[in-house]
Amino acid sequence: MSSGRAPFLIWVALAPALTVIGLLVGVSLVYGVAQSLGAVPGGGEGRLSLDAYRSLLVGPTPAAREFWPALGFSLWVSGASTALSALGALLVAAALTARQRQPTGATLLVLNLNLAFPHLVWAVALSLLLAQSGLLARIAFALGLIDAPAQFPVLVRDRYGFGIIMHYVSKEIPFLVLIVLAILRTQGGQYDLVAENLGASPWQRLRYVTLPLVLPGLAAGAALVFAFVLGAYEVPALLGVRYPRMLAVLALEFFVNPDLNRRAEGMAISLLISVLTVMVVGLGRVRWSA
Amino acid sequence: MRGANLLVTFRAALLRRATRAVPGALCIALLVGPIVALVVYACSTRWFFPQLLPAEWTLTPLLRQLGSPQTRVALRASLLTAGVTTALALVLGLPAARVLGLWRFRGRTLVLLILFLPTVVPPLAIGMGLNILALRLGLAGSLLGVVLVHLVPVLPYTIFALLGVFARYDEGYELQARTLGAGPLRVWFRVAWPLLGPGLTVAALFAFLVSWSQYLLTLLIGGGRVITLPMLLFAAVAGGNPTSIAGLALLFAAPPVLAIALAARALAAGSAEVGQQY
Amino acid sequence: MRRAHYLMTAVLLLATLLLAACGGRPVAQTGSTDTPPAGAFNLDDWASVVAAARGQTVNWYLWGGSESINRFVDETYGVPLREQFGITLNRVPIADTVDAVNQVLSEKEAGVERGAVDLIWINGENFLSLKQADMLLPDWSRRLPNARLVNWENPAIYLDFGEPVEGYESPWSSAQFQLIYDSARMGEEELPRSYTELLAWARANPGRFTYIAPGPGAFQGTRFVKGALFELSGGADQWLAYEEALWEEHAPKLWAYLNELKPHLWREGATYPRDENELHSLFANGEVDFSITQAIAGAGPLIAEGLLPETARAFVFDDYMIGDFNYVAIPRNASNQAAALVLANLLLEPELQAAQILPENGFGLGYAIDVTRVTDQAQLDALSAAQARLGEAATPAADLAAALVGDSAGAYQTLVEEGWREHVLLARQAQVARGVGQ
Repeated sequence: MSSGRAPFLIWVALAPALTVIGLLVGVSLVYGVAQSLGAVPGGGEGRLSLDAYRSLLVGPTPAAREFWPALGFSLWVSGASTALSALGALLVAAALTARQRQPTGATLLVLNLNLAFPHLVWAVALSLLLAQSGLLARIAFALGLIDAPAQFPVLVRDRYGFGIIMHYVSKEIPFLVLIVLAILRTQGGQYDLVAENLGASPWQRLRYVTLPLVLPGLAAGAALVFAFVLGAYEVPALLGVRYPRMLAVLALEFFVNPDLNRRAEGMAISLLISVLTVMVVGLGRVRWSA
Repeated sequence: MRGANLLVTFRAALLRRATRAVPGALCIALLVGPIVALVVYACSTRWFFPQLLPAEWTLTPLLRQLGSPQTRVALRASLLTAGVTTALALVLGLPAARVLGLWRFRGRTLVLLILFLPTVVPPLAIGMGLNILALRLGLAGSLLGVVLVHLVPVLPYTIFALLGVFARYDEGYELQARTLGAGPLRVWFRVAWPLLGPGLTVAALFAFLVSWSQYLLTLLIGGGRVITLPMLLFAAVAGGNPTSIAGLALLFAAPPVLAIALAARALAAGSAEVGQQY
Repeated sequence: MRRAHYLMTAVLLLATLLLAACGGRPVAQTGSTDTPPAGAFNLDDWASVVAAARGQTVNWYLWGGSESINRFVDETYGVPLREQFGITLNRVPIADTVDAVNQVLSEKEAGVERGAVDLIWINGENFLSLKQADMLLPDWSRRLPNARLVNWENPAIYLDFGEPVEGYESPWSSAQFQLIYDSARMGEEELPRSYTELLAWARANPGRFTYIAPGPGAFQGTRFVKGALFELSGGADQWLAYEEALWEEHAPKLWAYLNELKPHLWREGATYPRDENELHSLFANGEVDFSITQAIAGAGPLIAEGLLPETARAFVFDDYMIGDFNYVAIPRNASNQAAALVLANLLLEPELQAAQILPENGFGLGYAIDVTRVTDQAQLDALSAAQARLGEAATPAADLAAALVGDSAGAYQTLVEEGWREHVLLARQAQVARGVGQ
């Protein structure tokens, strides 16, 4: 790392990307904040206030009572999905690189195949597979293990969000594996080889060679996964139960409410999700560097 | 005696293999099972519990979907949008990632924060704002507007993938090559590309996949004039017919699978080349 | 609000300038510089509307979840539009009507005078949103030539989810809440015919019934619960106007009923299906024994679509099956208003009305027009011929008519939805336990 380059060139290189994102997202956020403060889309009557936040965090409405359970449920689902995906990706990547021969393109393709499907479709497919009358249940029925769908265990649309977590883990492992592999491909094979020649066990190689090498990239990837899971509503709406719900699902309900004034609350939840993400990821970073 | 010993060894090996294979098999089942389900659903109708296999096989809905003019128009629009977005994301992302990966400078953290803002803010929160902005700028309803707005969710992932590579990239190689008399093109192809190739491939893949899957932003910014495959697919999901969903999903997945296959090849093959660099 | 507006304008101006400067592109046109819709017309002179519409493209935003509906719309409406009126139909498939609503709201915010949406298939909640935002073209639907075929005296037509229609939207088709059973699984004589009988049935068949969770975007669930409210309070008509005392009186009975039902539901009421799709899938896969539909053709369109087994049949309780109408609306800023008006009028053509109720065409929804107002004999024949082709998966017309009631005042919608979450979904386990003990 050096810092001697002319600052001007640095900013020239950054300008295009910064302009596009800073401008588009910045202005959109201004709208978002204004809306959460009570500005009605379409410029109807409204006055700026913190009412939406107040009614969510301490208000007497039933929706407000759901905010805190939704927050807890969101953190649980996002945390568990992120941790399991990161762990899984690490193991898969280690298994792929620890083998004597390099992984073939075919292995990688199978592993990453589900990246080709959007989350919504993947959730539909998982539900076709895992529902109480899904394909697994039909196999169980054919084997005589169950007589009726109700006897099959609840794998999706369960109270604890296991179905949602299963979805994200299966979808995000390929994403994180790609990141880890890209790092290991750029360098790393050689370190591993050296360690092996020096007599390191597979576990030692994973712990002392692979892990330190991929950790920064993996951690950053995990942060992306966490932010995504916390903010997305399609999958929990499909694979979740009616209660408890994730924050993003709660926000969505306010957004489709016919009363346009309720959108302030939906927007407030969305912005609180952003704040929460920044806090959790920031906390992780601090812990990491400490 | 010897035979028995062999048998024991063999059995132990088999057992070891099996225990090792179970997690892998589960993993594969979870990764591939849903895709198999989609393929079977796409070719059947009225497939209900407890039928292990569909009683009514049919290719009519699938073929009708593939043959529909709206599907063809949407496929073309999708390819164009995702292609242009990917190229633009790389053009914008490469210099930014290079600077961010190689240099420490004042304001770097702030820049990172801004660039990753789209991943932190839920789509619900900025979708409408982006639409209003695009409308004000007169970008709504055009492919250019759609591409520009796709860059918002796409760029962070592109830059992210490139950052990881540049963080460990040594400009010394380029300097050395240049000192030895290589021109810029030669430096790029013989030095930078082999080193950056895998990361760049992954970045392009991410860009393509993220753009390819956008539904809401395309619908809003496209204003009904840009109709892409995700719009058809998400509408089908709203209808809940597994046959329609599966058929469109497979069509939808074909170009990404191709992209992933290319990327996988590059990743698998790239390793050997990179190895030679050291 | 005012200050926020200034702030936003300032930021936008800055943004516009920056983008223009960076990209070297000309500053894009904003709403204020847009030209008014081309081709002036006078709604009372229909020929001028048709003339203005010629050559326009009508951007019709409608739910695109059904392959057969999409095809039907393209063929049945797209072809005559092109051939008779020189109008191109651009069907914009959306996953949720709320997406179209948001598009219009964003355009209003941005001051766009020539919007992207020309016509929306719209209902209740979304109609209310756009009416509230004053973004619907006013005073047109009763002036269409075919409006004379519509019975505007019918409260089910001039009220949409209790909200006065007031010329802002034009009916397209009608619907009525019904249940679906599988004739291969049970006989007609076993069917419950009231909410009281349903409770008894659920007790006898634990885990075999469920209903869609009421809430915004899931009006079918709300409708099921409203029907129970009507039966428990002994009449639907009293709910046409909002009356707080009435609600306070009967709401506890409603929650008690639903909580009594809860332990006997699918998954013991721990969760409920989110929408019709999920309920259809549970029903088709034998997880539960009843589904629901709004289509006059009953289970027919769902069978044709492959969502339900061929033995599925629709039926109704003896009373309190809410019926209503589907509408189309035109945004105030629609670019192709004349073409949208022509299309809205086309939807009411008796021959096309007859086509859209057929189960194989995907909708299977009822007539929006009052058949008695049709005078042309050929059209009358087409209408009655279609009625006779609804098939055995439809509820008998006499049953439908006998059970038909109108929806309640709009204010009850939120009360039912929020009350249900609080008093039924989140009800204490103790209540559930008591239910089990009975």
